[in-house]
Amino acid sequence: MAATTESVKADAAEAPLLNQKNLWAGISLYLVFYSFIRWYEGVYGWSAGLDSFAPEFETYWMNMLYIEIVLEVLLFAGINGYIWKTRDRKVMSITPREELRRHFTHWTWLVCYGWAIYWGASYFTEQDGTWHQTIVRDTDFTPSHIIEFYLSYPIYIITGSASFMYAKTRLPTYHEGLHLMYLIAVIGPFMILPNVGLNEWGHTFWFMEELFVAPLHYGFVFFGWAALAVMGVVNTEVMAIAKLLKKDLA
Amino acid sequence: MSAQIPISTFKPYRGEKARLARAYDYLILVLALFLFIGSFHLHFALTVGDWDFWVDWKDRQWWPLVTPLIGITFPAAVQAVLWDKFRLPLGATLCVAALLIGTWVTRVFAYHYWNYFPINMVLPATMIPGALVLDTLLMLTNSLTITSIFGGGAFALLFYPTNWPIFGMFHQPVEVANSQLTIADLFGFQYIRTGMPEYLRIIERGTLRTYGQYATPLSAFCSALLCSLMYPLWWHIGKWFATTRYLSKI
Repeated sequence: MAATTESVKADAAEAPLLNQKNLWAGISLYLVFYSFIRWYEGVYGWSAGLDSFAPEFETYWMNMLYIEIVLEVLLFAGINGYIWKTRDRKVMSITPREELRRHFTHWTWLVCYGWAIYWGASYFTEQDGTWHQTIVRDTDFTPSHIIEFYLSYPIYIITGSASFMYAKTRLPTYHEGLHLMYLIAVIGPFMILPNVGLNEWGHTFWFMEELFVAPLHYGFVFFGWAALAVMGVVNTEVMAIAKLLKKDLA
Repeated sequence: MSAQIPISTFKPYRGEKARLARAYDYLILVLALFLFIGSFHLHFALTVGDWDFWVDWKDRQWWPLVTPLIGITFPAAVQAVLWDKFRLPLGATLCVAALLIGTWVTRVFAYHYWNYFPINMVLPATMIPGALVLDTLLMLTNSLTITSIFGGGAFALLFYPTNWPIFGMFHQPVEVANSQLTIADLFGFQYIRTGMPEYLRIIERGTLRTYGQYATPLSAFCSALLCSLMYPLWWHIGKWFATTRYLSKI
């Protein structure tokens, strides 16, 4: 990766093909934000998150839920709206060099998507398992659920949709038609969020115990598989980038 | 092999595009790492999570049966792409290593530092040895059938023996209040889990048709057969997820 920095130096006037600053900024953004969230739940999970009928729960947790939902809707609309409005209307006529640059920007988005999926599907999901074993919940909106379902899932959904929108509006590779696996890789994990509806209905009216492997949870699993469709995107990307680079690498 | 050309006559291309291709390798790796941690961990935690979370779930009948069966899925799917398209013989190990990173981070930062379960109670199981055999077999034979039968079998059969050094010590018997318990049982009784009454554990309880000490090998061989079937199924699921098709509308 350092290599690309050198290539940039060679032609300082030109924008870098891989903008490492954006890449690191993107990765750091999630890291710093989620580290803050982990600290917040560490402190206020224990001091304000144990009794959902207490006023401090309203202050520290329900308010967080309301704020994050509003912000997520605004972010989703803002980011996707911006990417759509600034779309390249003559995308088929860009130079190979510009195309390569956009592929790398696209990869910055994809890396952020993978990173966001990690936090949502791995860290905060399994963390919910341990919070279930620490409290007997008295609401569907436990501190852990407020973070897992209504914060970390929407964040990776926003990142994934933005990634898809970027590819669709800026890259010739995705100009014709809709890449099926890309759709699955973005919409599948998105469906994990609506599946919360099934999950909470089941837990509320039918199945009380917190068996993590209960069949009630399999909906999440099924939609989680869809992230594997990124392999189709990788195949497409490798073909596209190889076409742009192979003359020199032969 | 017979060509005697001095190394110095080769001048590998080290231009900008070679460096870009290298940068691209890193991007793919980071995406793959976090995406596979995220999706594999979600899949794993919600289908065999409880066996993996708690030391007192790691029994002889269910744990060695279900863990390899669920664990071989993503490795097979990822191998189907990494080996077939790129001749990279590390699909299984990549997935299993990613899963272990994800579980360890959560066990330490959520189970232990947030909710104070001792690490010894929530140690994850390892599937690394089975994954190495799976990758090696595929590389050496380049055959889906042989890897399914022998690799799938090895993945299941190796599971219990390679975890025994980690978990064997928790099977020491102790006498507590006139009852015989293992250390693992004691962990479960001592460190209270609010959502996990004892009857919820899905562990071996003995039957009138169980003979002697055969429980573990029986489970392992049963799992070996199921893994041999699960492997090609998920290989083809992986293949499907890696297709590059475009739709004209959704």
